[in-house]
Amino acid sequence: MNTDRRRINGPSGGTSAPLFVQAVKDVGYLQSLRPERTRGPNELRTICKLLQTSIVPSASGSAYLEIPMSRSTTTPTTLIKPSSALKLVCSIQGPKPLPRSVPYSPSLVLTTTVKFAPFASRTRRGYIRDAVERDLGVHLETALRGVIIGERWPKSGVEVVVTVLEGDEDGWWGDDELGAKGGGWGVLNVLAGCITVSSAAIADAGIDCVDIVSGGVAAIIRNPGSKKGNEVVRVLDPCFADHKDIVAACAVGYLAGRDEITEAWTKGNVGARGNELMEGATHAAVGSLSVLKEALLEAVEAKYQGQATVGKLSAKKTETTEDVDMSG
Amino acid sequence: MALPTVALPGQLLGPATKYAPGPGTHIHDSNIYASIAGPVTSAPTPTPKPSTNPSTSKPTKPLPLLSISRKPSSSSAFAPDAGILGINSGGGSNILPEVDSEVLARVTRLGQRFATVEILVVGGEVTREGFQGVVRREDVRGTEKDKVKVEEVFRVGDLVRGVVISLGDQSNYYISTAQNEYGVVMATSAAGNQMYPISWKEFRDPKTGKNETRKVAKPL
Repeated sequence: MNTDRRRINGPSGGTSAPLFVQAVKDVGYLQSLRPERTRGPNELRTICKLLQTSIVPSASGSAYLEIPMSRSTTTPTTLIKPSSALKLVCSIQGPKPLPRSVPYSPSLVLTTTVKFAPFASRTRRGYIRDAVERDLGVHLETALRGVIIGERWPKSGVEVVVTVLEGDEDGWWGDDELGAKGGGWGVLNVLAGCITVSSAAIADAGIDCVDIVSGGVAAIIRNPGSKKGNEVVRVLDPCFADHKDIVAACAVGYLAGRDEITEAWTKGNVGARGNELMEGATHAAVGSLSVLKEALLEAVEAKYQGQATVGKLSAKKTETTEDVDMSG
Repeated sequence: MALPTVALPGQLLGPATKYAPGPGTHIHDSNIYASIAGPVTSAPTPTPKPSTNPSTSKPTKPLPLLSISRKPSSSSAFAPDAGILGINSGGGSNILPEVDSEVLARVTRLGQRFATVEILVVGGEVTREGFQGVVRREDVRGTEKDKVKVEEVFRVGDLVRGVVISLGDQSNYYISTAQNEYGVVMATSAAGNQMYPISWKEFRDPKTGKNETRKVAKPL
């Protein structure tokens, strides 16, 4: 691994709360800490009031999205959080003229960057972009390219920068202690969040789009509560820490108005249930779209409030002049 | 169908047979959809001049133009957060120079065949960052094009009003000043003083009393 020698790096092993001997030795106790999904299979995590636009003043458009930690029913007996939340900031620079070295482009040149903050996950991340971050950036670019009307902005470029302040996990932290490896599931939730938050930021920046794109995730999990023990169910908006055995998962970027998918990323063994999985992901995307629309409407109203009052004032002025005319 | 007051990207506004698409909208399946978030305005389409497109068959009745304003209109320049040049004067707005848009630009460099300028204002709106443009020697004025010498019509630092004639190549927009209204609007002399125009081709320094040649824009 290439280390960053320009900065003072934190401990590489992570900075989570101490884990006591009881947790490691007594497997039963450790298992008792495992979080469980308390929502129904088609129920989404609530992101109401946790999506906000125009938060970075220097950017032409920006948005913040938070998907809170799923609430567990059991009272916490440990300091370690059962699962993580998802917190994303997106800022948009441009459209601005392309640098001299870039050849002529008749449409908008889109650059996307996804970067995890060093403190975004339980194990510390580096400052240099790694393969996962580059991968996420490419997927986000595909999702956004299908929605932006690039021909309206010739000879210009736009940069979409998403910073992950807290990332969703690949699995429960206790499984890591027990030696199980996460399957990289968490990036799907991060991607869906990135799509939703950058869509809000693009609308805030006033870049022409054919529709609002929103992200959604669905997963097929093996249900341990079932009689046979290997029955699979589909869940929307999964929190991967809540599930022990994940079969497959899918993240999509979905245009609800046109019923189009601009981006799909599937992981795991989908089998014959691919359509069902994809459909579930689009349902989850529609769920986040409703919040997205509400937040955007609120932002537009706030932005144009001044204009409305000025309009009213001028209307009043004409009224008074009319009155004067009549009296005179 | 009644028009919504505020639209979001992808929102259906109306059929293309009843309205004409304006800025901030697009057509999909012969319906007009919004493409940016903002208040919807419907205005009668300005009747096209017969000289501009005589070939196109005119519709019997002009369709109302549907558009979505990109930012609070200039009438709200009295808003408390407006800068000295009106709203967005600090941050500038996301606006691109287009062909036929009137621009204000500052001369940054003079060459044998062209003057390099930095476009600061497009169509009355301050841009977020400057766009690079050139005024070629043959685009400086409409007459005696072959006798133009760039160093006799511009000086570095002058403010020039012009019109974009082409999006140009990868780095430059092409600007023309070949009309009476276009040319240098603010000029500084060699002594560093602000000058005033005295004729179509000369500015005078009020302190030293010396004249300098420029392609002078006709004062509005």
